[in-house]
Amino acid sequence: MFTHDGWVPMRDYGEDAVDFVIVGTGAGGGTLACKLAEAGFSVIAMDAGAYWRPLEDFASDEQEQTKLYWTDDRIVDGDDPIHLGANNSGKAVGGSTVHYMMVSLRFRPEWFNSRTKLGYGADWPLEWREMWRYYREAEEALCISGPVRYPWGPQRPRYPYRAHPLNAPARYLARGAEKLGIAWSETPIATLSAPRGKAHPCVYRGFCASGCTTNAKQSVLNTWLPRALAAGAEIRDLAMAGRVETKNGRATGVHYFRNGQWRFQCARNVVVAGYAIETPRLLLNSSSSEFPDGLANSSGMVGKNLMVHLNQSVFGYSGDEIRSYKAPPSLALTEHWNYEDRGKDYHGGWCYMAPGPLPADWARTVSAKGKWGAGLLEEMSRYNHAVGLKMVGEVLPYERNRVSLSEQTDRYGLPIARVTFGFGDNERAMRTHALDFMDRALDAVGVTERWRNEEETAHLMGTARMGEDPATSVVNADCRSWDIPNLWVCDGSVFPTSGGVNPSLTIQALACRTGDRIAELAARGEL
Amino acid sequence: MADPFSAYDVLAKRDTPSWNERTRDVIDKRLALAIAENVLGDTQLATLRVIVARVCPDPPDRPATNTLAMIVRKIAEDEGDGYRPHTLPRTAECWRRGLDAIEDEARLRFNCGFASIEPDQADEILYAVESGKMCSELWGNLSPELFWKWRLLPDLVSSHWAQPSLWSAMGFGGPASPRGYVRLTENRHDPWEASEDAATNSSHALSQDHEE
Amino acid sequence: MSGDITHRAAQWIAGGATLVAGSVLSDSAIEHYRGSFANKAMFLPLGASALSIVHDGNLAARGARTGAVGSWTSGTHAASVGVGAAGLGFHVYNIAKQPGGFSLGNFFYQAPIGAPAALVFAGALGAAAHALSSGASALGPVPLQSGRALAGFTALGLAGTAGEAALLHFRGAYHNPAMWLPVTIPPMAALALARTALTGRVHWVTTASLAATAALGLLGTAFHAYGVSRNMGGWKNWRQNLLAGPPVAAPPAFAGVAIAGLGALLLIRRFSRG
Ligand SMILES: Cc1cc2nc3c(=O)[nH]c(=O)nc-3n(C[C@H](O)[C@H](O)[C@H](O)COP(=O)(O)OP(=O)(O)OC[C@H]3O[C@@H](n4cnc5c(N)ncnc54)[C@H](O)[C@@H]3O)c2cc1C
Ligand code: SF4
Repeated sequence: MFTHDGWVPMRDYGEDAVDFVIVGTGAGGGTLACKLAEAGFSVIAMDAGAYWRPLEDFASDEQEQTKLYWTDDRIVDGDDPIHLGANNSGKAVGGSTVHYMMVSLRFRPEWFNSRTKLGYGADWPLEWREMWRYYREAEEALCISGPVRYPWGPQRPRYPYRAHPLNAPARYLARGAEKLGIAWSETPIATLSAPRGKAHPCVYRGFCASGCTTNAKQSVLNTWLPRALAAGAEIRDLAMAGRVETKNGRATGVHYFRNGQWRFQCARNVVVAGYAIETPRLLLNSSSSEFPDGLANSSGMVGKNLMVHLNQSVFGYSGDEIRSYKAPPSLALTEHWNYEDRGKDYHGGWCYMAPGPLPADWARTVSAKGKWGAGLLEEMSRYNHAVGLKMVGEVLPYERNRVSLSEQTDRYGLPIARVTFGFGDNERAMRTHALDFMDRALDAVGVTERWRNEEETAHLMGTARMGEDPATSVVNADCRSWDIPNLWVCDGSVFPTSGGVNPSLTIQALACRTGDRIAELAARGEL
Repeated sequence: MADPFSAYDVLAKRDTPSWNERTRDVIDKRLALAIAENVLGDTQLATLRVIVARVCPDPPDRPATNTLAMIVRKIAEDEGDGYRPHTLPRTAECWRRGLDAIEDEARLRFNCGFASIEPDQADEILYAVESGKMCSELWGNLSPELFWKWRLLPDLVSSHWAQPSLWSAMGFGGPASPRGYVRLTENRHDPWEASEDAATNSSHALSQDHEE
Repeated sequence: MSGDITHRAAQWIAGGATLVAGSVLSDSAIEHYRGSFANKAMFLPLGASALSIVHDGNLAARGARTGAVGSWTSGTHAASVGVGAAGLGFHVYNIAKQPGGFSLGNFFYQAPIGAPAALVFAGALGAAAHALSSGASALGPVPLQSGRALAGFTALGLAGTAGEAALLHFRGAYHNPAMWLPVTIPPMAALALARTALTGRVHWVTTASLAATAALGLLGTAFHAYGVSRNMGGWKNWRQNLLAGPPVAAPPAFAGVAIAGLGALLLIRRFSRG
C-alpha cells in the first residue's frame, strides 16, 4: 500500500463461522471492521470491488479511474431521477472514500434532534455530545487537516494537522463571503498537509475524485483498513454478496459470488454496509418465507426515506486565471447557512464550497446547459478562467423517495435496484435561496457570465433509518436491526436526516460508536 | 477560433515527473485505440462519425482525436455508467437504436443518409433530437430527449475531453503524479503548466496579488 | 592583544552575517521564484544579500585589520537593511490584503515576515563587524566594544528565527519529533544570551547553547533535505518538492545568528577579564 510493489500479510479465516462478516468496506464497513478486529473479534469484511494499491494502480486520468465506481446497472426514476455511478458510489475496497472529496464536517448538534429542536425531519436516537467524542476519534484516525479555529458550532479540539493553502477558487469563495459579510473557513479535509508515517503530503494534483495516487488522501483504504489487517481482520475483495441467509429468526451467514462461483460464509453476526442503495437491495433480495418482505423490514421502512444532498452550483468566468484543476476541490467553505435559521422560508441547512472540476466533468457541466459543437469547444477553451460555488444542502426524508427492486436482473441474476427520487417544495425553496446567494457571492468578486447548474445531487442517505421505535425504523442507535438481533446495518443508510454537510465523517463516527457498543454488549453477554 | 494555448502540448510532459508509469500506459493505449470492427453496421458507424464531428469537433491545428474509437469500444463492451432511466435500454442497444433512428430521420427529412447531408442539415437533425421533435417511427419508446441527455451527449463529451489534444487546447495541466502543483493562487502557474497566449489573455485581474 | 580579540570577534560576526545573508539569498531566490518574480522588486533582496555575502565573507575570511569602513561597504549594508525593511513592510501589506487578512493561514502560506527581517539583521551585523574591524567604538549611537549591545541584538535575532521556525513547524503539525529541536534549543540560547547582555557575564550555558544552536542549523539543513525526499516523487521531483517541502536554506540562518552571538561573547569576555 505505502511502497511500490509492497505487500502486507493478511489473515485467512476460510469459510468457518467468524464473529462478524461485514458486507462492504467503505466509510461504515471498513471503519467497523477495524474497531471490531481491534476489540478482539474475528472479522471478515468483503467487498464487491478490488483491493487497489494507489501508488502503482492509479493513473492520473478521469476515464481510466472509472474503475473505482459502482457502474453495475441501476434504474433511476421519479420526478428528479438522480445520477449515480461516479458521482455517487464506489465499488472498491475502501468504498466510496477511495474517490471521495475528503470534506470532513461535523453535524450541527441540533440536527440530531431536528424534529424536537427545529421542527422538521426526524430525531436521531443519539445524543450530540456522545457523537462529538466519536467525531474526534474519526478525525484523529484520518489526521484531518483543518483550521485552528472553526467559526461555527460548539468548540471542538484542534484538528490534528494544519489547513492547506488556499487555491484560487477557495480564495474567491473567501473574498465573496467577506464581501457579503458572512464567515468562511478553510475546510477540514482528509488529506495530509504534512507527511504521516509512510504517506506523502498532498501534492495538489487535483485528481481526488479519480483516486489519490500519493496516499495523501486519508481514505478508509489507507487508514482504517491497515489497522484492521494488523488486528487480524480479513478483507475479501471481489466478493459480491447476493443474499443474507437466516434461520429461526437469526442471520447465519452470507452467500457471495467470488472467482466465478457462489459461496457461503458462516458468521455469528452479519453487518450490511453497502451504502444506501446496495444495503436495502441486499436486505430486500434476502427475503425468505420467514421474512417475506425482506430482512429487518417489519416496519416497512427498508428502502424508504432515501435522501441525497442538493449539490447545485453557480459557475461563471473571471478575468483572472483560476485553473481550478489544481489542489483538492473544496479547500474553503462557509457553513453560515447551516447555523443561521433566520431569513429562510424552508427547513434545513446548507453550506457551499469551491469546486474544481476536471476536463470531462467540466465538459459535461458546460454541455448540460445546451452547448455542443463549435460553441462547446470555444467555451471549453476558457476553462482556466471558470470559477464557481457548489452547495451541499439538506434534503428532507420522504417515504416516497425510495430504493426498491426492479424486475430486471444483473449479471449475477440478482434483481437490480430501482431508485425513485423527487424533490419536495422544501428542497426547491432551499435551492432557490442557495443559488441566489451563491450568485451574489460570485457577483461580488467580479465573476461574470454566471449560470446555474440546477440538477446535481450528491451523497446517499436513509433507506435503513435508525430510531427509537421499531415500528418506524429499521435499526436502533447501535445500528442493530430491530427484527434480527445478529443483523446490523452500518453505513450511510441509517441516517434519519441528512444534515447540510457531507456525510462520511458522521458515518465513520457512527461506526466507531457501533464498534464500542458491540464490544460493550459482548462483554455483557448481550450479543 | 484562436487556440489560446498554441505553444502548449500536454503530451510533451509524458516523460517528466508529471506522469507515472500507469498513466503513460493508459494514454498510450488510448491514442493507439483502433475503431473496433463488427460492432456497428457500416451505416451506423458512418452516422456516429458525423455525430462526433458535429457535436465534438476537434480543435484546429491539434492532432486528431480518438473519440469515435472510444465510443465504439464503449458500445462493444456495453459499458454502463451505473444508472439509467428505466425507459432507456442498456448502452449498446440504446446507441444502436438511436443511430438507426437518426439515420432514418435524415432520410425522412432530406431523402439522404445522415452521413451524406450537409453539415447544417446534420445540425438541424441533432437540434431536433435534443428538443425531442422527431418524426421517425424507429424511435419507438426511446425518447430522443433522454437519448440525447443521458446517453449521446455525456458519452461524447466524456470521451472527447479524455483526449490529450483537447487538454492542450483548454490549457489543462493534464496528468499530474508524482508531480502536482506548487503555485495555486490566481494568475500564477508552475513552469510545467500551460501559458496563455498574451493576445487572448483578458486579464482584468481582480486582485494583483504578489505571492512571495 | 585586545585589538586581536576585537578583530577575531569582527571575523566571527562577519561570518555569521555571511551565513544569514546566504540563507536569505537562497531562500528568497527560491521563494521569489515560487512567486514568479511577479514584481521586479522581488529581485532586490537577491542583490542585497549577495553583496552582503561578498563583503562580509571577505572580512570573515581575510582576517586583516582594516582602515576606516569604505563607502562601498557601508553602502552595501545600508542597502541590505533598507531592502529588508522595505520587504518587511511589503510583506505585511501583502498579508493584510489577502482574504482572511492577518490570519494564521496567511502567516503560514503568504509572504513570510521572518525573511526580510533576516536581511535587516544580516545588514546590521555586517555593518557592526566592519565597524569593529576598523576600530570604531560605536556604530552610530550603538556602542560596540563591550559586546553587550551586540549580544542583545543577536539574542533578539535568535528569538525571531526561533519564532518563525515555531510558526512553520506548527504548520507541519510537528509531525516529526525532531521538529521540536529548533523551538527548544535556540530559545534557550536566546535567553542565556540576553542574560549575558544584561549582566555582562558569560556563563558556560550561553556558550554551549549557542554552539548547539550553530550545530543545529547545519543539522537542520540535512533534516530538511530528508524532508524534501519525503514528498511524493522525492528529489527526482525537485522542481516541485524544493518548493513544497521544508526550505532547505532556512536552517543555516540559525547557525549564522549563533556564530555572531559567539563573536559577541568574545568581546564580552575580554571586557570582563579587564
Ligand atoms: C465523488 C464523491 C465525492 C464525495 N465527497 C465526499 C466528501 O468530500 N465528504 C464526505 O463526507 N463524503 C463524500 N462523499 C460521500 C462518501 O464517500 C460516502 O457517503 C461514504 O463513503 C458512504 O459510506 P458507506 O460505508 O455508506 O458506503 P461506501 O463507502 O460506498 O462503501 C460501500 C461498499 O460496499 C460495497 N458493496 C455494496 N454492496 C455490496 C455487496 N452486495 N457485496 C459486496 N460489497 C458490496 C461497495 O463495493 C462499496 O465498496 C463523496 C462521494 C463521492 C462518490
Ligand atoms: S490533490 Fe492531494 S488528495 Fe487530491 S489526489 Fe492529489 S495528492 Fe491526493
